[in-house]
Amino acid sequence: MASRSASRDPGRTNRTTTGEDDASLLSNALTAVSNTNISSFSRKVSSTAGSLIGPFSDPGSHYHNAMSEVSKDLKRPSIQKRVFSFSKSSPSEIVRSKLSATEISHRALTYLPDDLLKDIPENDASYSLFQGFKASVDTGPSKKHREGKNLLEESAGGPNTVTRLTKERDRTNEELDLLGVRKSIASGEIREIDRKIAQLTAIRGVVLERLAKLEQEETQLEHDLLELDNKIEDIQYDMVEEGSPIENEDAEAGFMSESIYSKLPSPKGRKRQKRKAMPILHEHMSPGSEIKEMQCHADLITALDFDFPFGKLVTAALDDTVRVWDLNSGRSLGQLEGHHASVKCLQVEDNYVATGSTDATIRFWDLSRTDGPSLPGSNSVTHKRGPQSNQEEDFEDDMSAISSQPRSAAGTQDCHLLTLDSHIGEVTALYFQNGTLVSGSADKTLRQWDLSTGRCVQTLDILWTASSTAASEDSGWSFASLGRSNSRSNLPEANADFVGALQCFDAALACGTADGLVRLWDLRSGQVHRSLVGHTGPVTALQFDDTYLVTGSMDRSIRIWDLRTGSISDAFAYEHPITSMQFDASRIVSAAGENYAKIYDRVEGRHWNCGAGAEGGKEDRLSTPAIVERVRAKEGYLVEGRRDGVVGIWTC
Amino acid sequence: MSSDNLPYAADAESPLKEAELEVLRRQYDREGQYVSIQTKFNYAWGLIKSDKATDQRYGIKLLTEIFRDAPERRRECLYYLALGNYKLGNYAEARRYNDLLLEKENKNMQAMSLKGLIEDRVAKEGMLGVAILSGVVIAAGVMGSFLYKGLTKRSL
Repeated sequence: MASRSASRDPGRTNRTTTGEDDASLLSNALTAVSNTNISSFSRKVSSTAGSLIGPFSDPGSHYHNAMSEVSKDLKRPSIQKRVFSFSKSSPSEIVRSKLSATEISHRALTYLPDDLLKDIPENDASYSLFQGFKASVDTGPSKKHREGKNLLEESAGGPNTVTRLTKERDRTNEELDLLGVRKSIASGEIREIDRKIAQLTAIRGVVLERLAKLEQEETQLEHDLLELDNKIEDIQYDMVEEGSPIENEDAEAGFMSESIYSKLPSPKGRKRQKRKAMPILHEHMSPGSEIKEMQCHADLITALDFDFPFGKLVTAALDDTVRVWDLNSGRSLGQLEGHHASVKCLQVEDNYVATGSTDATIRFWDLSRTDGPSLPGSNSVTHKRGPQSNQEEDFEDDMSAISSQPRSAAGTQDCHLLTLDSHIGEVTALYFQNGTLVSGSADKTLRQWDLSTGRCVQTLDILWTASSTAASEDSGWSFASLGRSNSRSNLPEANADFVGALQCFDAALACGTADGLVRLWDLRSGQVHRSLVGHTGPVTALQFDDTYLVTGSMDRSIRIWDLRTGSISDAFAYEHPITSMQFDASRIVSAAGENYAKIYDRVEGRHWNCGAGAEGGKEDRLSTPAIVERVRAKEGYLVEGRRDGVVGIWTC
Repeated sequence: MSSDNLPYAADAESPLKEAELEVLRRQYDREGQYVSIQTKFNYAWGLIKSDKATDQRYGIKLLTEIFRDAPERRRECLYYLALGNYKLGNYAEARRYNDLLLEKENKNMQAMSLKGLIEDRVAKEGMLGVAILSGVVIAAGVMGSFLYKGLTKRSL
């Protein structure tokens, strides 16, 4: 045996050096199979005949000698191997393996190539497969064990106790070993499952990439479709216009309001495109993973909103600009120009944007009038994923590119629909829905606007209404609370907006103010019908649905009110003042002066952090991320704006 | 590998009861696509022990899969593959695997006894082959002589 393995060894090294040669040789060997087969067959007959003739000779060694003689003639290792394998088989096997179809297919299925056979690592498993087999087939040891116990008790005083007990001990030992094997089987299975999970996770990543790519293409097609639609519409419009050009001009000059009216948001309005496909990519990513990071502005983000995941994002910053972004590509779509001062609040609904500015005006925009993405080359930085070392410089280029190129600005210059300018103080909060817009201002009034006419239809003076309703209903505490909150100097409310947040639904309006009160108004009567007392600092964020109203305040707390009873149903506090908050059925997302967004999982009742500064985040960041100032979240898609003008997009 | 970690060839000749094999098969089916190696082996070994050739073939197929999937079990698999192929009468394959195992572990009792068994069987079948072949040769000779005689008669 040793001699054979020694004679094989040089052959093996030879094979590894002439690996490619070997492949061609193998095919040669295959064509020569029939020949070698027959020759080996004849050789075997002679050798077995020899073993018959030679009396008392060991058939194995005789056989081996015969074969080693043959192997001397065959220098090439693979041929050597072939001949060996055929000469080792019996004639009936050779006949069967060449003639039976099931046999041939079986052989093809179970054939193990040589390189697999060569690669056999040391076995370091604690149990063998056969032990495992015995352990799993041999069931019911516990029963035996129990029987044994009974036996042990019964025979305590008997004469054969010692032998019986020794037997019992041996059996118990065996069972113990068996249990050990079973235990290692179980732990081995767990390890195996872990490995499979890891494999599946890797595959999942690949598929996710594919999904991302598909969605990119989808968006591109969607955009192309829109462009085609617009072109068709324009051509049709031109054809109609050619018939009566003068009349049309008259109309535009004479009845401005009518032309505005025609631009108005109506459900059937032109260009209100329905997306055919909704992006779902973020739903498949694990919560808290980063989708994108964009340097949107050079200054603190004061407001942001987006229409839907991977849709359009509108950001406003202290640098007095309002920019529109394509969330899918990360490209800038242009600026919304017109405000003379920075925008403090904005809302995006479908294609319409309302912006409220410190210049006391509210502007209303239609984003469907953009020309789509601006020049792709002009801002190639922002759609790259992850942090970049030269982002700042590129960003400067990017900004100059946007401002210097009239074409990119032209993309959004037609967007402006309305300007609402009755407020005499900066607009700090606004909300619009179904053609009605409500705004809150530093002049301590709320105004209700009709978007179809652009007129203010109602003005609600908060202090006056508060004092009158307080006098009639609430015995004066709400006025007192104003004084109370002003007297507290330790809270950072000197710079807080008087109307921190508001939201309306039909005739119901809720607003949160700097006195820490949340007032619920009835827009039909113009009266406050309920005040929610609890916050000890200015209310900065507010949102309600059909059951709950959630507020965030400078007093660091988030309170969840039950609208049916008017009482607090839940409340929790973070370490810093809440600057922004949004909730849906499953989570409350808020910005609380950290460099990550705080998320409260309403289903599990769990708090967690999502964002650049959260633990477990990327370690390779060049600098610590800035504090998150504003957050928005829809369907698990979170957008946060930071103090340094960076906008991060995450899944949550 | 200690001596009781591998079954002897005799063990493979005693088939499991139908119900026992059924239990193994059900376990294997239940774990579906993510079947564990042990379960797969249990079923495969049950199949190899069976006295039906189709079962044995399927058992070998499963063992081949284990061999491919679990490198740490390859050494053991070699023995079972050799044993299964021996039972099926594929002595070339059986020898290929068994010799490889002996090359790695030249003191493996089970593999050594299997080697002996394979060689006995090959020798026996070889004898049978000689008998058949000689029979064929004789028959051909007789036929040939008859034909020759017939031809020579006709030519006369």
